[in-house]
Amino acid sequence: MATNAAPPEQTLFVRKASGLVKGWSSGDGFRYSFFSVNLFLAIWSFAYATFIPGGSLFWAIVITAAFIVLEIIVYAGLISVMPRAGGDYVWMTRIFNSPIGFVLAAGGWWFILWLWTPIYADMGVQTTIKPIFRILGLNGSADWMGTRTGVFVAALVVIAIASTLVAVGMKAYAKFQKWAMWIGLAGVIVAGILLLVTSGPSFQKKYNAAADKYYGSHGTLDLTKYEADATGAFKYDAAGALIPAKGQTYANAFEATQAIGKGTGMPTSTFSGGFSWATLTLIPFMLFWMAWPNWGATLYGEVRGAKDFRKNIYQMLGGLMVPTLISLAFLALMTWKVGYQTFMGTMSAFWWGISPFGGDYISPTAMISWIVDNAAFQIVLIAAISLLLFGWFGTLFLSSTRMIFASAFDRILPERAAKVTSAGVPTVALLLMTIPSIIMAALYAYTPIETATGVTWVKLFTYDATLVIVVMFLGSGLAFMIMPWRAKSIWQSSSLPKSGIAGIPWMSVIAFGYCAFLVFNLVLFLKDAIYGVNNAKSMIFMGILYLLGIVIWIVAWAVRKRQGMALETVAKEIPVE
Amino acid sequence: MSVRLFFATDVHGSEACWRKFINSGKHYDADVLILGGDMTGKAVVPIIDNGGGKYTFHMQDIRHNLDGADALALNQRAIRDHGYYPVVMTPEQRNEFTSDPDKVDELFLQQMRRTVEEWVAWADERLAGADLRCIVCPGNDDHSDIDELLATSSQIEVGEGNVVDLPEGHQLASSGWTNPTPWDTPREEDEPALKARIEGIVAQATVSPERLILGLHAPPFDTQLDVAPTIEWESLTVQGQDVAHVGSTAVREVIEQVQPILSLHGHIHESRAAVRIGRTLAVNPGSSYVEGTLSGCIIELDGKKKLKRYRLTMG
Repeated sequence: MATNAAPPEQTLFVRKASGLVKGWSSGDGFRYSFFSVNLFLAIWSFAYATFIPGGSLFWAIVITAAFIVLEIIVYAGLISVMPRAGGDYVWMTRIFNSPIGFVLAAGGWWFILWLWTPIYADMGVQTTIKPIFRILGLNGSADWMGTRTGVFVAALVVIAIASTLVAVGMKAYAKFQKWAMWIGLAGVIVAGILLLVTSGPSFQKKYNAAADKYYGSHGTLDLTKYEADATGAFKYDAAGALIPAKGQTYANAFEATQAIGKGTGMPTSTFSGGFSWATLTLIPFMLFWMAWPNWGATLYGEVRGAKDFRKNIYQMLGGLMVPTLISLAFLALMTWKVGYQTFMGTMSAFWWGISPFGGDYISPTAMISWIVDNAAFQIVLIAAISLLLFGWFGTLFLSSTRMIFASAFDRILPERAAKVTSAGVPTVALLLMTIPSIIMAALYAYTPIETATGVTWVKLFTYDATLVIVVMFLGSGLAFMIMPWRAKSIWQSSSLPKSGIAGIPWMSVIAFGYCAFLVFNLVLFLKDAIYGVNNAKSMIFMGILYLLGIVIWIVAWAVRKRQGMALETVAKEIPVE
Repeated sequence: MSVRLFFATDVHGSEACWRKFINSGKHYDADVLILGGDMTGKAVVPIIDNGGGKYTFHMQDIRHNLDGADALALNQRAIRDHGYYPVVMTPEQRNEFTSDPDKVDELFLQQMRRTVEEWVAWADERLAGADLRCIVCPGNDDHSDIDELLATSSQIEVGEGNVVDLPEGHQLASSGWTNPTPWDTPREEDEPALKARIEGIVAQATVSPERLILGLHAPPFDTQLDVAPTIEWESLTVQGQDVAHVGSTAVREVIEQVQPILSLHGHIHESRAAVRIGRTLAVNPGSSYVEGTLSGCIIELDGKKKLKRYRLTMG
């Protein structure tokens, strides 16, 4: 029996035995988190920031990042203590009980991802497909992609891609992800350099030229839709709707967009608003893209080295910080070179239906690509950066299948839910994702229009997709907080730091801070209509999801009881002594 | 009469998991307990005796300073629960072990033997008088002398290479041998030799496939039970997120040919799953021994020819 080479001051002697490896690449963990805190989700959430114009987007990101560090510590701890496929489901069933764990995790890792499917599709269409079609002069196709059927078909494509990638396995996809990240980041660097070296007047010129060329905003733009007062701010009626204007014209698209930014109350700098209440109310919007460095939580049961608390922190921290710093730099550059009012004006224009670009959403990537007056370059740059989004599509259903497997092993779902074909395809788990996702995509595309700008009622509660996962995270955060008392043996056998204050471990204190942050966001979500989630339809939708989870658990409990199985004892600890 | 089995595997020296395994019969109301191999630990934690009742050791990169016998005993138990062997030694002894791999080998053998002896004694005491069968089969990480120690037990039956009669006319054919691993472990061999070994054991069975259970440490190749991170054999490094099927083709072929009602496996801790291979239910409950959690599987046989139901557990 040979042993490892022994350095001085050896603190552990190991023998040759299965499984003693040097751990998975830190780069893999970082990449997974980096893709999860997705820059395209960031861009999409910036558009939502136009609904709270008094807040500082820049500082909202900084504050959110600070609190998400707590999330990283909590999840790094949970992963290192229980590195299991199923993540939140396993932790909550183990530390709380089976019904709580199942209902919260099914909501967060299974049901709500049905809604993420059309959201991803919509983002892909608006930020990448339509701008490229416009550059190619395929205006008919671009217009069609913006129709209900266009969005629905795009969602079907996303479902097909995500299902295929789960079916063929992650090995090839992991390689694609590596390339996607590097090409995407290269695109981001090129975009940054372009912004940096371009002067403000030059950018305006290119912006107007592209508006003319691709969107038909020829010279003078007639912005006649809404009325502005003497200061340039749009007027609202008693019901809060914009008042139709008698007619205002602007010299070009840039000026018109700037007027829209001004009209909707956007400040001239991303720093304006500081640490005000308005800035704090932007945080729920920021969760849409920043809350996910822990997205790999359900998969850590399948990777080596997951028990390493510090390594988990570094990986997720890197995955949070790199996109956060890129987005902050981007906002600062936009304020400097383009003008924050104009930048946010393009977003406002999209939401309020007063776009000088014929109703299109103008993606920042497209906007920057226009700096170089070459269609091929523009397409390559937009496509390269879009790999940061498309590189992430494949993992849409991955976590869900793991959660479905874990609950099937626990016998909450039937055995066949965990069935895989000889080629390793989890057919039933995939069907449990794809069929409801198709239904959700249809609802997203075809439900009645809720706003004057054509937003359907399902699209209006886009942020339900964040809220339901936040509720699950809150469950896991609370589980981590009470673990030292509720799951003593697991806590004691873990490598987590046990020190604390007044008998309370620091880990629990951190978890408390994280939970308080999540509760703050949940209160805002439920209190303020601006997030689009506290309306009756949204509440009914979320209620149905949780009811579905409860019904599945109760049915499973009754069936298993008849079979002589006590479902609630699945995760009950066996006495040691 | 139906028969309820509880199967766990890969406790790797974790005292908490061993004790839970022995106590699981009552907890899950099982008739038969089966442990699928890899009982012994992988690492020795040197606890340095600094004199004056003060001790120091490192666990998962964290330095622990102990003061007094009570603290020492508490931490020794925690280390054992984690699956490691705590050994109190002077700094000079630690340095001797550091510079002499053969001495470390001896230390491991000594610790493994002592621990298994203690475990057997504890199990004998706990299981005495209980209407419960307990079958333990070592795994590829366990040295051959473990079998002899297990055989001294009054309550434990040794599975390795044997066909054991179970209630209601079932039989269990077991082996802890596996196909080759990158670690050159004590019980591994190439696929043809492994197939011949397993076929030899199965040939001892006298029941029909509907009443035969295989307890083979290696999982069948190319199933959900054998997916592990891809490893570079030379450097023993994990290759990114790549995964590979690392189970045994011999095990798969035997299952496909014999079609037993149930096939129990371990070895790949992260491949917790259950799959059907023809008429056979193949199970790998995985292992979570590091956190002191016993991953297992409860299987109910209807006492005739059918497997009534099964459930993976975490206890």
